[in-house]
Amino acid sequence: MAIQTAIDSINNSSGSPFGFKNRIINGAMAIDQRNAGASVTQTTSVVYTVDRWSCYGSAASKFTVQRSTTAPAGFINSLLVTSSSAYTVGASEFFFVQQVIEGFNIADLGWGTANAQAVTLSFRVRSSLTGTFGGTISNGATDRVYPFTYTISAANAFETKTITIPGDTTGTWSTDTSGGIVVNFNMGAGASVSGTAGAWSGSTLRAPTGATSVVGTNGATFYVTGVQLEKGSVATAFDYRPYGTELVMCQRYYYRLSPAFDSRMLAFGGQAYAPSGAIVYVPFPVTMRTRPTSLEQSGTASDYHLFNAGTSTLTLTSVPVFAGSTTNSMGMVDCIVSTGLSAGNATALRTNSANGYLGFSAEL
Amino acid sequence: MIFKKILTIQNEQQIYARIDDDGKCRLTCTADYPEFVAWLSEGNTPEPADESETPE
Repeated sequence: MAIQTAIDSINNSSGSPFGFKNRIINGAMAIDQRNAGASVTQTTSVVYTVDRWSCYGSAASKFTVQRSTTAPAGFINSLLVTSSSAYTVGASEFFFVQQVIEGFNIADLGWGTANAQAVTLSFRVRSSLTGTFGGTISNGATDRVYPFTYTISAANAFETKTITIPGDTTGTWSTDTSGGIVVNFNMGAGASVSGTAGAWSGSTLRAPTGATSVVGTNGATFYVTGVQLEKGSVATAFDYRPYGTELVMCQRYYYRLSPAFDSRMLAFGGQAYAPSGAIVYVPFPVTMRTRPTSLEQSGTASDYHLFNAGTSTLTLTSVPVFAGSTTNSMGMVDCIVSTGLSAGNATALRTNSANGYLGFSAEL
Repeated sequence: MIFKKILTIQNEQQIYARIDDDGKCRLTCTADYPEFVAWLSEGNTPEPADESETPE
């Protein structure tokens, strides 16, 4: 009887109790390939922080973001926003941290159709400020927006918040590799980009009207973790996926090869095409969302070297360069040395210090 | 921060180097890279390539 009751309880939820329940990736903020806990400063371009989460602001340097070890019970990390000044937000300005969910991962919700399903957003949040805070759920074009509010009652203590959002039966919601649903936590927004909470809008809104401005108080802190977006109108327990599973899910959007053993990173093999150049091939651990369009590296050529014949190495004379033939399953890197390679011979790229790395991005 | 064309020996596709304010290149990309696209939309133009082909 008890077992049947439990099964009935599961079945009565319109969401999926098994598998990919949480559409948010890295909702526990544990994966931070780019920064390993180091702080990043918000700019007027989208800047990626912990994996799958990005920040933006209409004016630069108003807050920093980093992975924190301050976390509620059941978690070991959170995403920390720290305000850098007491900034008065202009009428059309806005500041946020957000995650863009790939369209493929929300296709079953039926948004933009008569069969649109409700979703429930839940998260743990803590701030040095109290009051009414806000965020938005929107489509990739930000022309279908649902502002929401939540209240932080006590300063500097984690609280659990739950918001149920009715499915949007109109608008265009991506169901492919482009941005599907955007989950946005607002850090400050002006009146002309704020709107009524709890209702869908066709305007490009960034926050609910009257939400607390985190960037308005110098040194204000905002922590969030345990972020879950699930199908249905009931918040269930956080979907705590295995670390390796979560890492691979993140690597669909960003993959960084970092030094490990002996403070060095081996970036697989390649082939010399001239005495001064070689192409190195980097297989990705998972098919990336799209073909990456960039390669990140340390900015110092001497952080990298190529293996030559035998065990000799040649230090790069310029930084590794993105090679245009990169696909969504394999990266290609162009490496230049002064001379010493033999065209047609095999080679391999290795970092020459703990600073070297290679990063491929297919972020939304 | 600026973007600059670079000439690769492979020369199969135009590659751009992002030159940060400290003069270092920490990112190279194709014309489809979102940050480069946004930079262009602000009215910027990439600098021509150097003779030395790839960024130091």
